[in-house]
Amino acid sequence: MLELDQLIHEARTRAAASESLAALDEVRVHYLGKKGVLTEQLKVLGSLPAMDRPAAGQRVNRAKQAITELLDARRHTLEEQALAEQLAADAVDVTLPGRGQEPGGMHPVTRILERVQALFTTLGFRVEVGPEIEDEFHNFDALNFKPAHPARAEMDTFYLKDRPLLLRTHTSPVQIRALLKYGAPLRVIAPGRTFRHDYDVTHTPMFHQVEGLLVDKGVSMAHLRGTLTDFLQRFFEKDDLKLRFRPSYFPFVEPGAEVDISCIFCDGSGCRVCKHAGWLEVLGCGLVHPNVLETCHVDTERYSGWAFGVGIERLGMLRYGINDIRMNYENDLRFLRQFR
Amino acid sequence: MKISTQWLHEFVNPSATAEEIAERLTLAGIEISSVSDALPPLDNVVTGEVLKVAHHPHADKLRICDVRVSAGKHLQIVCGAPNVRTGMKVAVVLPGSHLPDGTEIRVSQLRGVESQGMLCSARELGITHDHSGLLELPGDTAVGINLAQALGGADKVLEVEITSNRGDCLSVLGIARELGALFDLDLNLPPYAPVRPAIRDNLPVNLAAPEACPVFAGRIIRGLRTDAVTPLWMCERLRRAGLRCVHPVVDVTQYVMLELGQPMHAYDLKHLSGGIVVRMAKTGESLQLLDGNAHTLEPDMLVIADSKRPLGVGGIMGGTASSVQADTRDIFLEAAYFSPEAISDRERKLGVQTDAAYRFTRGVDPTGQTRALERATRLLLSFANGEPGPVNRIAGRKSAAAKLTLRQLKLRQLLGIKVPAGDVDRILSRLGFRTRKHGRTWEVRVPSHRFDIEREEDLVEEVGRVFGYDRIPAIAYPSTQRMLPLPEEQLPLARLRDILIARGYQEIITYSFVDGPLQQRLTGSPGIALANPITTDMTVMRCSLWPGLVQTLRYNLNRQQKRVRIFEYGMRFIAQHNEITQENILSGLITGSQYPVQWGLPQRAADLADLRSDIDALLVASGAVEHLEARVAPHPALHPGQSAKIRLNGVDLGWMGALHPKLLRELMLDQPVFVFELMLGPLLRAHLPKLAEISPFPSLSRDLAVVVDAGVEAATILGLVREAAGRQAIEVRIFDIYYGPGVDSGRKSVALSLILQDSSRTLTDEAADATVKRVVRQLQSKLGATIRD
Repeated sequence: MLELDQLIHEARTRAAASESLAALDEVRVHYLGKKGVLTEQLKVLGSLPAMDRPAAGQRVNRAKQAITELLDARRHTLEEQALAEQLAADAVDVTLPGRGQEPGGMHPVTRILERVQALFTTLGFRVEVGPEIEDEFHNFDALNFKPAHPARAEMDTFYLKDRPLLLRTHTSPVQIRALLKYGAPLRVIAPGRTFRHDYDVTHTPMFHQVEGLLVDKGVSMAHLRGTLTDFLQRFFEKDDLKLRFRPSYFPFVEPGAEVDISCIFCDGSGCRVCKHAGWLEVLGCGLVHPNVLETCHVDTERYSGWAFGVGIERLGMLRYGINDIRMNYENDLRFLRQFR
Repeated sequence: MKISTQWLHEFVNPSATAEEIAERLTLAGIEISSVSDALPPLDNVVTGEVLKVAHHPHADKLRICDVRVSAGKHLQIVCGAPNVRTGMKVAVVLPGSHLPDGTEIRVSQLRGVESQGMLCSARELGITHDHSGLLELPGDTAVGINLAQALGGADKVLEVEITSNRGDCLSVLGIARELGALFDLDLNLPPYAPVRPAIRDNLPVNLAAPEACPVFAGRIIRGLRTDAVTPLWMCERLRRAGLRCVHPVVDVTQYVMLELGQPMHAYDLKHLSGGIVVRMAKTGESLQLLDGNAHTLEPDMLVIADSKRPLGVGGIMGGTASSVQADTRDIFLEAAYFSPEAISDRERKLGVQTDAAYRFTRGVDPTGQTRALERATRLLLSFANGEPGPVNRIAGRKSAAAKLTLRQLKLRQLLGIKVPAGDVDRILSRLGFRTRKHGRTWEVRVPSHRFDIEREEDLVEEVGRVFGYDRIPAIAYPSTQRMLPLPEEQLPLARLRDILIARGYQEIITYSFVDGPLQQRLTGSPGIALANPITTDMTVMRCSLWPGLVQTLRYNLNRQQKRVRIFEYGMRFIAQHNEITQENILSGLITGSQYPVQWGLPQRAADLADLRSDIDALLVASGAVEHLEARVAPHPALHPGQSAKIRLNGVDLGWMGALHPKLLRELMLDQPVFVFELMLGPLLRAHLPKLAEISPFPSLSRDLAVVVDAGVEAATILGLVREAAGRQAIEVRIFDIYYGPGVDSGRKSVALSLILQDSSRTLTDEAADATVKRVVRQLQSKLGATIRD
């Protein structure tokens, strides 16, 4: 059966010479197709004597199997080559910048506002807002500002023309609105815009505050200190941040205090930012004045509360180094992009 | 207020440095903003006496002085000061030392004459700005002592910044009282005993405005020496407090005001006619005040008048006509209590600022007038002689001392710590309160100078601040609250903000007050005006966020930022009749190229469709995007062909469009600008999602192109297609719009892509084709559409 071995040898040579799957398929058809050489061999089996047929059939089948295997092997090789070529052709410069839109960002004041809100909502404080055009009652009277008291004049209030209304000078009116709406006990923070007639490096006529208010049974200065310590340590991410309470005066709290923190730049050892005092003023606070609670129909024998107000731009100044507060409202894109 | 610690030490003497005192006061609520030296370093400056003055042989303006600087030691000093004269006591800078500005003083030749030191003006010594001549020391000054010693010795000056409730601390006495409480020390008060009247002269006082001026006290002093000179020690104390010596009488009134906190005024008696009338000003009345200006008074201003005319504005400023002068011999000295309500805000109206008004506005002790008169009389008589008349004190009403109760329990509850009862007693009595303890309660009488103390809580603060806020621990308030409600049909604002940020927008925050004309131009509405705007371009409350966006755009275009995508949310203010509506809105602006310069996308300018897709994206969050529609509508700021009202579920939501080209020119903008403005409330209302069944059957897609009149709106076409295709059409999109060859002019070709699916069976090709046919018939009959092959 030299003829079959010759055939296999020849098929191997032709398969190896096939440089494409199509060429290889031609080789397959030539040997194994319906009219292929081996198929023809099987057809001639019938003409052999009956006793020779099984052996001859086996030989032809072995040859067929051998050719099938060598063709499959060659196919596999060719497929691998084709894939490799495809992969090489598909390669891109992975260092190319991506395509499409570039995201914008949020305003630094929003960043700080959200940070403060996030911290207080974990303690169950609800977020309340109030109108920016306010009346004397909510902005002053209900907050225990006496009519001729200089504390009123010190607020540098914007008034509307021909209307008995003003732009709120602080977010404290929301205390009144929330207390009248929900009563005690209550935990609220009130973020928002506030307005004062002032303009220089550290003052813009509009700025933002967050007001915090907790009214419940047995609330003391120690609780105020507790929450503010927690808040400021978390806000600045400094567990060793120290707080200093200085007595101060805001008509709507009694006792009242201003809170200083140990300087976050020098840890209290004295630097240019804290003017070598080691302390930075951050917010005003106190126990809610009983006159305020009574105006809001809260029983001062059952309840007491604390409140604080913090300037968002001041926190932004300390946190992000925005030393000229006016930059917040110039909205220079080159400035804003730094806080995305 | 500036205050000398030396002066304070006369009243109370804690063994503490000025810095320690400042710290204690600050931590007790009396802020000391600075501590500074009262005098510059004056080590080698001594007192001397000019014995002889001779002309300089080579210079007309120079004198050669023989100056005695100690017993037997004389220096020859060349001096050019105009006031140098024989017998004068002067400050001498000895050779080998430096002036405060660093100039070295040596023995030198001045135009050929040796000068062995320097005679100085106050400015050269760094004491005041006076450079009109040599600093003249009083005639009784000892020669040869250190100048600092002659001026009262080394001292520190505290800058006191009180909160507006603590008017009682605007004096040496007030601060001393605080220190007495903080250091637990007794006060040493100067003599306030009455000065025996030497004459009977008295001015009748008519208190015609007892509400505004409840207490008025005065006395006549006659026969003051006109050559009296205010003592150096007094001048020096005034100087350390930031005041100038001007006239013995005025200096004494200022001194007493600083010491006791009681403002005073002195009138030249010869200019008064009849008695004193304390009354409200008459309409149109006018008066020249000590600031040199004539002021027209208003009926809410209090005047001190005589029988003919107003003399001064009570508690604020005296008038020039009756003021003391160099030749004044007889005076009427006034110490009154004006109520804060009668003073407040009048300063601003008059355009003046005075120490007196500052104090009266914050409250002055209503019982301190006689004490101040006696103190001033005693001081004045000590160097200017004079004969005092009796004190005439008229009081309209008597204010009873408030009586309060302080409960130990309340104290502990509010402070959160237990303050020992002994400390409470000590603190309150040092501050001038009188206390009596009954069981666990104190009965407290409030002193007349503490008109800020009205309730128990005020006493709690007094005890707390002196005891020390820093002794109050930090305790977390126990959390007993339930979780807060979290309504899912209310979107958090952050959701919308983050959508815009992801789409390339930068958040901005602009002022709530804007330029009136710009707002008028952008909205057709003037906006609500401010009574007192801070600048001429921030005069009205915004009724739209577009003015802020446009100003921000201009700011950034001027700084080479050509691609701007910004948004803001916040309140707008609209007046309707007497109501003001304050609503939150969300507005955005895009201009320049839609995408940043990049390799993979061709550069193209942003257009209205880009803006629309951002608006659609906002509504995806609320699940209402299919209920959004844009309707052609004119807007004063927008391009008439690119302006649309945005509606949601048939209700107006806002606007979108391109800024009008004319407006762009007015604003000097040279590229198209697209803006939107939407009510925030409806945007934040969301549906709670409810799962709909997902069809398991395959969908089929069909494309078709129809030619319609160019004016037919896309929304109309899409609506008709959806209507004809029915529920089978799960998606209908326009994928091309074409004008040009092959399409008649005035017509356009709109290519549509439909995805069809049935929820209950596999859709056959035949069924899909039938649906498309229905769509085509609908478009043909309703729009005269033709099919484009």
